[in-house]
Amino acid sequence: EIGQSTWSLPWATGLLLTRSDNEEQSGHGEQRASPARLPFGKKQLPPIPKNAAPITKPVTTGTPAQSANGTHASYGPFYLEYSLLAEFTLVIKQKLPGIYVQPSYKSALMWFGVIFIRHGLYQDGVFKFTVYIPDNYPDGECPKLVFDIPVFHPLVDPVSGELDVRRAFTKWRRNHNHIWQVLMYARTIFYKINTVEPLNPEAAVLYDKDVHLFKSKVVDSVKLCNSHLFDQPKIDDPYAISFSPWNPAVHEEAKERMFTYKRRPEDHHKGTQVSGLSWVKPGSTQPFSKEDGSPQS
Amino acid sequence: MASMVASGNRDGQPLVPKGVDPETCMIVFKNHWAQVVKILEKHDPLRSSSTLTSLSVINLTTGSSGSPRFGPIPGDEANAVQNYVEHMLFLLMEEDSGQAGAMGPILEFVVMENVMERLFVWSLRREFTDDMKLEQLKMYEMLVGQARQPLLHHKPILRPLMMLLSSCSGTAAPQVEAELVLLLNQLCCVLAKDPSILELFFHTSEDQGATNFLIFSLLIPFIHREGTVGQQARDALLLIMALSAENERVAKHVAENTYFCPVLATGLSGLYSSLPTKLEVPNEEWHCLHKEDWLKMPSLVQFLNSLEFCNAVIQVAHPDIRDQLVGYIYNGFLVPVLAPALHKLTLEEVMTTTAYLDLFLRSVTEPALLQTFLSFILLHRHESVHILDTLVSRINTPFQLGTVSLALFRTLIGLYCEDVMLQLVLRYLIPCNHMMLSQRRVVRERDCYSVSAAKILALTPSCCSPDRSPPPLRQLDSILFSKGAETPNSTRATEEDDGSGNSCTIGSEIYLDVSYLHYLYDARLSISGCIQACQVWSALYDGEDPPPEKYQPGVLEEPALTRTQMLELEWDDSYDACPVQTAEAPVESKPPQQPPAEPPKHIQEMRKTAIMLVKGTYIEENEFQDDVMVYDLVAKKDARDVERQTDCKSNLQNNNTAAAELGDDLLAQYEELIRTLDSEAGGKQVKTDAEVKKPVAPAAEVEEEEEEEEMDFTSFSAETPEPEKVQSPFGPKFCSGSVGRSHSVPFTGPFVSVLLSRMENMLSNSLHVNLLLTGILAQLAAYPQPLLRSFLLNTNLVFQPTVRSLYQVLATVKHQIEEQAASRKDFPELITAAQHWLLARETSFMAAGDNTPTSSPPPKPKAISLDRTDVFATVLFTEFLKELAAIAQEHSILSYIPMEE
Repeated sequence: EIGQSTWSLPWATGLLLTRSDNEEQSGHGEQRASPARLPFGKKQLPPIPKNAAPITKPVTTGTPAQSANGTHASYGPFYLEYSLLAEFTLVIKQKLPGIYVQPSYKSALMWFGVIFIRHGLYQDGVFKFTVYIPDNYPDGECPKLVFDIPVFHPLVDPVSGELDVRRAFTKWRRNHNHIWQVLMYARTIFYKINTVEPLNPEAAVLYDKDVHLFKSKVVDSVKLCNSHLFDQPKIDDPYAISFSPWNPAVHEEAKERMFTYKRRPEDHHKGTQVSGLSWVKPGSTQPFSKEDGSPQS
Repeated sequence: MASMVASGNRDGQPLVPKGVDPETCMIVFKNHWAQVVKILEKHDPLRSSSTLTSLSVINLTTGSSGSPRFGPIPGDEANAVQNYVEHMLFLLMEEDSGQAGAMGPILEFVVMENVMERLFVWSLRREFTDDMKLEQLKMYEMLVGQARQPLLHHKPILRPLMMLLSSCSGTAAPQVEAELVLLLNQLCCVLAKDPSILELFFHTSEDQGATNFLIFSLLIPFIHREGTVGQQARDALLLIMALSAENERVAKHVAENTYFCPVLATGLSGLYSSLPTKLEVPNEEWHCLHKEDWLKMPSLVQFLNSLEFCNAVIQVAHPDIRDQLVGYIYNGFLVPVLAPALHKLTLEEVMTTTAYLDLFLRSVTEPALLQTFLSFILLHRHESVHILDTLVSRINTPFQLGTVSLALFRTLIGLYCEDVMLQLVLRYLIPCNHMMLSQRRVVRERDCYSVSAAKILALTPSCCSPDRSPPPLRQLDSILFSKGAETPNSTRATEEDDGSGNSCTIGSEIYLDVSYLHYLYDARLSISGCIQACQVWSALYDGEDPPPEKYQPGVLEEPALTRTQMLELEWDDSYDACPVQTAEAPVESKPPQQPPAEPPKHIQEMRKTAIMLVKGTYIEENEFQDDVMVYDLVAKKDARDVERQTDCKSNLQNNNTAAAELGDDLLAQYEELIRTLDSEAGGKQVKTDAEVKKPVAPAAEVEEEEEEEEMDFTSFSAETPEPEKVQSPFGPKFCSGSVGRSHSVPFTGPFVSVLLSRMENMLSNSLHVNLLLTGILAQLAAYPQPLLRSFLLNTNLVFQPTVRSLYQVLATVKHQIEEQAASRKDFPELITAAQHWLLARETSFMAAGDNTPTSSPPPKPKAISLDRTDVFATVLFTEFLKELAAIAQEHSILSYIPMEE
């Protein structure tokens, strides 16, 4: 299984705005080269081509300069982007047991995930899924969660594989609802079966009437899902989650690192010049209150 | 000979060809020595057995004013000796050590026959001129540097070396000094490699009970010297400092028996006093001393060298030395010299001092030394006002002093020091009085949906809206945004798809301000750097840790000032008296102040002492005394009475050491003699006029200095509280800040208040002031502490009515801009011109390669006058909004993620 530790934000530095490799080379390269800080106030203005005559009259008067909430439309995508980034950081913070997600390379509105079921009826199940987030997030409807293979479950559509999320989030409320809750919900359904208003009536009926048969169907479904584990990802994306059989040449070293790596803050400081200072005694609010006065290392 | 010796090996032609068998070498060596001894004995004044000869020569020789007692030594004989010695030294140098580290036969012979000592005595026997010293120093330098076996472990080699070194103390000839320091440096290198020799260095003088560490003492006078000599001396001292970290004894000796630390610290004072009191400011934009500025100022270079040396000492030395040194720097430099300098009379002087302080803070890297500087700034009170408060108040001066003060605070904030941030801002926020009670929970909330960023960007003046800017300036780009596929089975979620519903672009009409990406990137770097740095802080400052109720300003802080006093502090009116600037001073100028009294007497004294120490010859009073004596003895060898000669002779005979090993008691005899002299002189000095018929100049000078100036270093040692200070800066409890105030009136502190009020005047500030201001605010906003972050960036937080927030100030500025834009028809064109010029300016900085702006700024804009501060401020304001919004956005995702690479 994958260790629950070393998530990084794949698009945190590059921004998740739709990428093509073309952009990656031009736009990002430029961006990386830029951060040399000027001695003060490195106010940044876009480069101007020489001899470009300034045009003073406003372009396209037709489009509204400001959106409904009074902000400039130009920044709208940035707000959406950071809202999604914030959601993702919340997911990381939750450390949901057995759930891993990774946003798509191509769009921040699509997240790839996998869920490991460790006990219960669906024990040993490994279900890949995709989360689709509406583009008017967080003001739209709740995100969709679709399993790659429709797992046999009362709340999972037997054809599309979509999980009935809306029953848990009848109305998506900003600030109250978060994507990690959707993921958490997806995990819960495998431990606590609900048969009310099912998307898969057969599963619901069997669960209520013939648990035995239901169980064997579940076992079959789990087997089916697991037999497709090594398939190519359904969606062609560099960040799609893919499994491959154990290959010592590839995996041994990674595994080694995962098990030996201990995150120690002091390691990060080594080699970096930036380091803060403090002579404040914990619990005190007075400067230079540490008794020894000896410098922090 | 010296030059021959020195050059002999460099030419790559050793006098002893390799491969010659050791036995032959030994025979040659012995033969040479026999020849040398013949000449030596021939000129031995007593013509007695070789055992005692040398002693007699040194101790007892008398004569008329410096000429050899027994007549000149013929030149051919002197040359003969030199030639033999030269060859012998090469033989010694080239010899390998014997089996299992045993001495080689030549070395053994040298030790047995006490060759080195007798050669030293021989050089004394002749006129002991500077040339002679130089020759001897070079000889040892070569031996120490190139011998293949350890030599210094052997007393018969070490002792004459020490005598030679002693004899060179206080010497004035630059050549001798240079050679002396070079040799000392080399000895320190040997010590660093083989600390076991250290004991021997102590023991050579300890035989007589005195604790001495001659090579260290000899280096001290060169601490603040310019040029190579100074650098070599400092390097050598650093080696000893590094030794002290391992060796208690060295540490103890340096800390307790030498004036190393006081000399270093007062040296700073002395060097500081020779810095220009007024800087020639290249242009109005100038605000801090860059490297290219101070490289042109030799006195400043010298000061920084010494400061750098203090920094290095504190880094490597034993904690005892470190603590002592920082104590002396605090009480011997910062408080008596820098504090008054920060309160001088004219604007230029104060501005200059402020620029120096800023430079020093940027030069110091060692935490313990930084702590010293910072506790001076944060806790020291000059004429009952904290230095920090004075500095903060100066931000508001409309002159260049205000700009330089801003630069100083930029440096301070950039240290990521909890103590600094606590005193400047955080302590005013901890009680959470600045916000409504119901808002406290909001402090730690994060802005998930970039609401604050949107509100900040919404302040963008309409004339600068990205939707209205001309294309070349707004660099907008259509970036496609693909939506998740409606149907999960889609394998082609790319934007090229059309009509399939699998992907689409969000409003292809929407363009993005691409420059904003740069701000986001910078914000990310800046915040994550800050988060890392603040990991060493003691508290989170999130409204719960430290708990607001627990913050008891009354207990440790001084009695609160009234609000009016507070506001007055923000305007530092002590400079209005300055005649040069009064014309430009705003209306609220106050009548000239009383001319201040002379600096306190102890400060004047101290300064004098410090200058004397740096410029004059420095001799340690007690421990160094022996060496002075030895020097005297050597120098006066021909000036002694015959009576003393016989006295000592009988003394010697009484000691019954005649049959002892060759010259073993030589040093003992020196010491004995010294003690006699010492007691006669009342234990103080060589002031035995009766005996010293012709005092030698250097020693006499030393004496005079010591009589004139009581070097009372204890008066400003760390242990002794200074009269004007109530508490030692290193004591356990402090008064923190003079601006403690009743917390019934919400107040976010003078620093924030001054910054915001300058910000509010953005439209009339000059461009570079605004650059500094916005830079500092952006730097503050990058701090991850929720109290600070929420105060500066959370636009939803509801503050107390009396508290002004950054957002409010920005809104005011926007309003001013809109009014201005509405009233001036040419405003949009001017904006465009300003944007173009600012861009060209930045490009020229980038092209300069490094981050240091050259002192020649880019040519002034043609289309717009720099006096149109409102136009430049408008452009800057717009960019600053982006910068702040980017920081706010990055906070929403960064502050909660554990840092990882």
